[in-house]
Amino acid sequence: MEKLTFKVQRYDPDKDKKPYIQNFTIPFKHGMTVLDGLIYIKENLDNTLSFRSSCRMGICGSCGMLINKLPMLACHTPIEELKKDTIEVRPLPNFPIIKDLIPDLTPLFEKHKSIKPYLIQDTEEVEKPTAEFLQAQGQLEEFVQFAYCVKCGLCMAACPTVATDKHFLGPQPLAQAYRYSADRRDAGAKERFKQTDTPHGLWLCHLAGACSEACPKGVDPALAIQLLKRATLADSFRLTKKKPQPSVAPSPEQKKPKIAVPEFTIKKPAAKS
Amino acid sequence: MEATSKQKAPLPNRLGIIGWAWAGRYKIERYLYTLHRLTGFGLLVYIALHLVANGSRLWGEEGWESTMNFLSNPGFKVGEYLVMAAFIYHALNGGRLILQHLGITLGKPKPPVYPYVDSMRRRRPLTWILLALIMALAIFMLVEFVISGA
Amino acid sequence: MRESYLKILQYITGIGIFFLVGLHLLISHLSSGDPTEWSSVSRRAASAGWLTIYILILIFGIYHGMHGVRGLILELSLPNKAVRVLNWAIVFIGLAIFGYAVSIPIHAF
Repeated sequence: MEKLTFKVQRYDPDKDKKPYIQNFTIPFKHGMTVLDGLIYIKENLDNTLSFRSSCRMGICGSCGMLINKLPMLACHTPIEELKKDTIEVRPLPNFPIIKDLIPDLTPLFEKHKSIKPYLIQDTEEVEKPTAEFLQAQGQLEEFVQFAYCVKCGLCMAACPTVATDKHFLGPQPLAQAYRYSADRRDAGAKERFKQTDTPHGLWLCHLAGACSEACPKGVDPALAIQLLKRATLADSFRLTKKKPQPSVAPSPEQKKPKIAVPEFTIKKPAAKS
Repeated sequence: MEATSKQKAPLPNRLGIIGWAWAGRYKIERYLYTLHRLTGFGLLVYIALHLVANGSRLWGEEGWESTMNFLSNPGFKVGEYLVMAAFIYHALNGGRLILQHLGITLGKPKPPVYPYVDSMRRRRPLTWILLALIMALAIFMLVEFVISGA
Repeated sequence: MRESYLKILQYITGIGIFFLVGLHLLISHLSSGDPTEWSSVSRRAASAGWLTIYILILIFGIYHGMHGVRGLILELSLPNKAVRVLNWAIVFIGLAIFGYAVSIPIHAF
């Protein structure tokens, strides 16, 4: 293909009553992404086109859009993988639109904050840290997959419950609630259950699995939510054991060196008389 | 996001109830959820009609026979079969959902390695086995109770 | 009451309905004669075992169905303040349906 047609949803709140589609024709270059196409449009065809982007390498989560009817990161979507020469680009559904392709992600951030996305410990170590908490590789692997979340909002756009229920927490906050509750360094699971085990909480997830399908970082929020359900049920029926307080790394003075430090081997020059 | 005096409030953009049925080119598990919802609703409607029909028992044999004559219409027979198929689907898919909601059969978290395959897609063979079982039971019911008129 | 208690009841009633309704269909259709014939209906109506099965199916079925309806209504962005009203409405409607439905087999017994 030599030319691409971009069908972009436009909406200027100061001029338009409702969104409309505008077509742009751009030249195709091997290896270009949807973001490259949008940047070309902004630089050469219409500099009023508005969209978010930052890292252009799939790590910041800014450029989430609905591309050919699936939520994707524009920078992470090569045109060739779409196998079409007509690319339809709309803003993420289930988020209010500020302008053109820019969604208002405040609902996501507010819900994320509400589940207390930080380690909660009742030791002084959290407030006045002396050393890092120790954690075995196996303990890390229980939750590290869910720590890769970049808060792009694609999972929220894919979720059928978020489509109708503005009070539902959504896949991202629920997955992060599990990420922190499953962390052996955390003791705040019960506090988070007060937010998640509610009428608009995790039980409105019906395992459609679209969130995991849409996630660009392989976080698999659907798995996190089902594991959170298991943890919640275990807590409701008092089947969970209290987590032992995590230990901190010993200071170098407390640690015995595994290999004896060798004597200073370079001989000092004899003092000149 | 609050609108300032110069800025207009962001435009609402929720998919609404249409989002339950179709929201994009997702894989089959998304539509198993939609079908679960539809069959549940269909079964609710059936239960209401079933209770009303059964209430005719209280009018004695005459009342019961006239209700059964009314329900022997071919349209109702088709409806009855659809209810049976909906029950089979809802029950077996519900069983899958109960197991997966309890984290059973979904596997353990693994650090993600590209190309990412999520837990539901890793368990796709089990989903196909379940759908095959549903189809087999639905066909068996069709042959046994509808075609042979039992 | 925590939502998780309501949900575990949903799972239990779902499994219960599967076995009870399966039993209801299998026994009705495997026994000789047409299960919808008046003689067959009256024979089942006079049986204490069948009465127990019907009452159990009603309890499990109404709970499972009403909980599902409650979930559907919650998903339509019902505000948190209205959740209590919804809960009580579901309870009353469920009890009303149960009251009507259970009177049929009891009366026929």
